[in-house]
Amino acid sequence: MGNQRAYLGLARATCALGLVATLLTGCGSDGGSGDGVTKLTFAASTFGDPGRGPLLTKWLDEFNQSQDKVQVSAAAVPYPTFGQTVLTQMGSGKGPDLVRFDMPEFEAASDAGLVAPLDKLVDASKYDLLKQPDQFMVHDGVRHGIIFEASNYAMFYNADLIPTPPTTYEQFASTAKSLTKGDVFGLAFRQTEAEEAGVWQDIFNYVYGFGGAWSDGKNLTINSPENLKGLQAFKDLYDANVIPRGADAATFRRMFAEGKVGMELNNGGYVTATRGQNAKLNFNVAPIPFPVRKQGAILAPIVVNEASEGKDEAGTFIKWALEPQNQVKLQEILGASSVATTTQRSPETLKATPFLPVFDGLTETSLPQIVLGFEAKTPDIRKVVVQNVVAALQGKTDLKSALDRAQQQATELVR
Amino acid sequence: MTVVEQTGAPKTTPRAGARRRPSPLGSKWTPYLFLAPAALFILVFQAVPLLQEVYLSFTRTRLLNPTKSEWVGLDNFNRIFGDPEFHRTLLITIVYVITCVVVAIGAGLVVALLLNKKFRGRGVARALVTVPWAAPGIAVALIATWMLNAQYGIVNRFLDAVGLGVPGGAILDSSRYALPAVLATTIWQLFPFTSVVLLSALQSVPAELNEAAHMDGAGRWATFRAVTWQVIKPTVGLLALLMTIWSLRRFELIWLMTKGGPVGATETLVIDLYSQAFDSKELGSAAAIGMVGVVISLIVIIGSRLVARAVEKGDVR
Repeated sequence: MGNQRAYLGLARATCALGLVATLLTGCGSDGGSGDGVTKLTFAASTFGDPGRGPLLTKWLDEFNQSQDKVQVSAAAVPYPTFGQTVLTQMGSGKGPDLVRFDMPEFEAASDAGLVAPLDKLVDASKYDLLKQPDQFMVHDGVRHGIIFEASNYAMFYNADLIPTPPTTYEQFASTAKSLTKGDVFGLAFRQTEAEEAGVWQDIFNYVYGFGGAWSDGKNLTINSPENLKGLQAFKDLYDANVIPRGADAATFRRMFAEGKVGMELNNGGYVTATRGQNAKLNFNVAPIPFPVRKQGAILAPIVVNEASEGKDEAGTFIKWALEPQNQVKLQEILGASSVATTTQRSPETLKATPFLPVFDGLTETSLPQIVLGFEAKTPDIRKVVVQNVVAALQGKTDLKSALDRAQQQATELVR
Repeated sequence: MTVVEQTGAPKTTPRAGARRRPSPLGSKWTPYLFLAPAALFILVFQAVPLLQEVYLSFTRTRLLNPTKSEWVGLDNFNRIFGDPEFHRTLLITIVYVITCVVVAIGAGLVVALLLNKKFRGRGVARALVTVPWAAPGIAVALIATWMLNAQYGIVNRFLDAVGLGVPGGAILDSSRYALPAVLATTIWQLFPFTSVVLLSALQSVPAELNEAAHMDGAGRWATFRAVTWQVIKPTVGLLALLMTIWSLRRFELIWLMTKGGPVGATETLVIDLYSQAFDSKELGSAAAIGMVGVVISLIVIIGSRLVARAVEKGDVR
C-alpha cells in the first residue's frame, strides 16, 4: 500500500512539475529589460533579401551601437507569408515591436487597431517627409506609420536587346512581339493566381496607366471602361504569347538577368536584386509607356505594434532612422527606392546608377497599390479581382464579364 | 525445513493460500494512470480545439480581432452552402479524394503483385519503391513544381517531344490540367505506401490455397478473386479509410503546387478553409468549412465501420 501511495505521489509530483513548466513556458516573454536594456524586434521581409538583407542588418547594428538602453534585432519573415504571419501574431496581442508592412497589410492592421498611433512617439513635423507617399500614412488625422521605403514602378529593359525604349503602348506591344523568338521573350509579368499579390501589382500599372482606378474613393469602379481598356491591354499581351506563361516572378527575373526577357515593369527595389543576379547585365529604366503617367508604388511603412511593451523605445528607433545621415545610408542600401525624407543622391551613386532620377521623377504620380477609400478591404478586393482576371486570361469568361463579376463580388464584400 | 521451502520457491509463484501482496501495478486505478497522459494530450490538443472550432463556426470572428467575436448562429453555414463556389469546392474535394483512393490503391496493388513475384533484384526494387513515400510532402511538391515548370520543366520537354505539349507549357496554371497534375503528384507520393502495405498482406496469402485453386483449374483472375482478394480485402478496406481521411486533410502538396488555383481548379476543403482564415481573415467561416470536413470524415468512418461489419457477417462480398 505504501508503494502504491509512493507511485501515486510520484505521478502527482510529475504532473505538478509538468504543469508548472508549461505555465512558465507560456508566460515567457520574447523581449525584456532585465539588464536595463529594452530589446525590440523589427520584422521585415527585406531582411531575408539576399542583396539588401545583410546591409539592413548592419544598419540596425549601427543603431544598436549608438544606444545603451535600446537594442533592436531583425526578424526576417519571408515575403509570401509575411502579412499573414505578422497579422496573426498581432491579432493575438503579440508579434514584433516594429514592423515594415506593405500597404494592404498596413491598412488592415491600422483598421483593426493593431498599430500604435505615432503622433506622441515621433514629431513628424520636424522632418522633411516626402508628401505624396507620406499622405497615406495618416488615417483620419492619426499617424500610423512612417515611410520606410517608397519604390516607384518603371519599365526595366534589357539594353542589349532594346537600344531605344518604347514610349507608347503600341511601341511597347510591338517591341514585345518582335523580340519574342525561341527562348527569348519580349516581356514578362505575373499571371498566375498563385502569385495573387504580384499579379495585383502588375495589373495596377495597366489600370492606372490607361486612366482607370479601382474606386472613386466612395464606390468601387472595378468594371469601368478605363479599367477594361487597361486590362484588355494586359490580356492582349498575354494572348500574344510574348510572355513566358506560367513562369513565376523568380523564374522570369532570372530570365531577365540572363538576357532572355526584354522588358519588365518593376519597382526600384529590383535594381539591386537584378545586379545581384548578374552584375554585368546591361539594363536600363524608363517610365512606363502607357497613355497616362500614373503608376503603382510599393510603399512600405514602418509601424509600432500596439501590443508592444516598448513603444517609446520603438519611437527612439524611428527617430534615429529619420535622422538625415541614417536616411541617406538607408537609401543607399535600398537602391533605387526612396526613403521617408527628401535626400540627395551622391554623385558616386548617380554615376553607378544613372537612371535613378527616372525613379525619383515618378514619385509625384505614383500611388500605393491599395483601393482608395477601401484601404483595409484591399486584400479581399484584390483576391476577387485577381481571380476574375486570371479566369479571363484562362479563357473561362470574357474580360468584361469577369470585371462585372468582380465588381459585384467586391461590392458585396465591402457592403 | 520450512525456511528452505520458502527461500527455494520461485519468487514469482506465490504459495497457495498465502495472502497476495498488493502490487503497485495491480491497482484498479493503474490503467487509468497509464492512460492519463495520452488522454490529457488528446483532451488538450484535440478535443478542446475541436470544441473551440464548433463554437467558432457559429460566430463571426475576425483574425485581426479574435476577441471581438459575435454569435451569428447558422449564418456561416447558410453562407457557405449558399455559395456556388463552395459547391464546386466540395465537388473538387470529392473528385480529389476518390481519385487518390482508387488510383493509389489500384496502382499499389499492381506494384505489390509484381513485387510479390520472385525475380532478380526484387529486394532493390522493393526498397526503391518506398522512396516517394519517404520523401517529405514539401520536397515532393517542390520537385513536382520544378518538373512541371513551364520554362525549364522536364515534363514539358517530354510532352513537347511526343507531341502532347500544353500550349505555353503552363500545366499548373491551366484550369484544365492543374488538378490532374496535382492528383498525379499526390498518387506518386501515396502509392508506395499502399504497395508496401498490400505486399505484406499478399505475403500472408497461404500458398497452398493458391495451389489448390490451380489444381481445381481456376485461372489467374479466378484465383485472385477467390483466394488473394479474400485475404487482402480487410487490408484494402483499412487502406481505403486511411487514404480517404488523409486525402481530405491534404494541404501542403496542393498549396505549394497551386495554392488552390487557377480559378479555384484545385481548391479543396482545406485550401478553402485556409484561404478563409488567412486571406479573408474570417475565422468563423473557416471554422464552418472545417466542420463540414469533420462531418464528412465522421460519415466516412462510420460508413466504413458499417461496411466492415456487414462484410464480417457475410452480407456483403
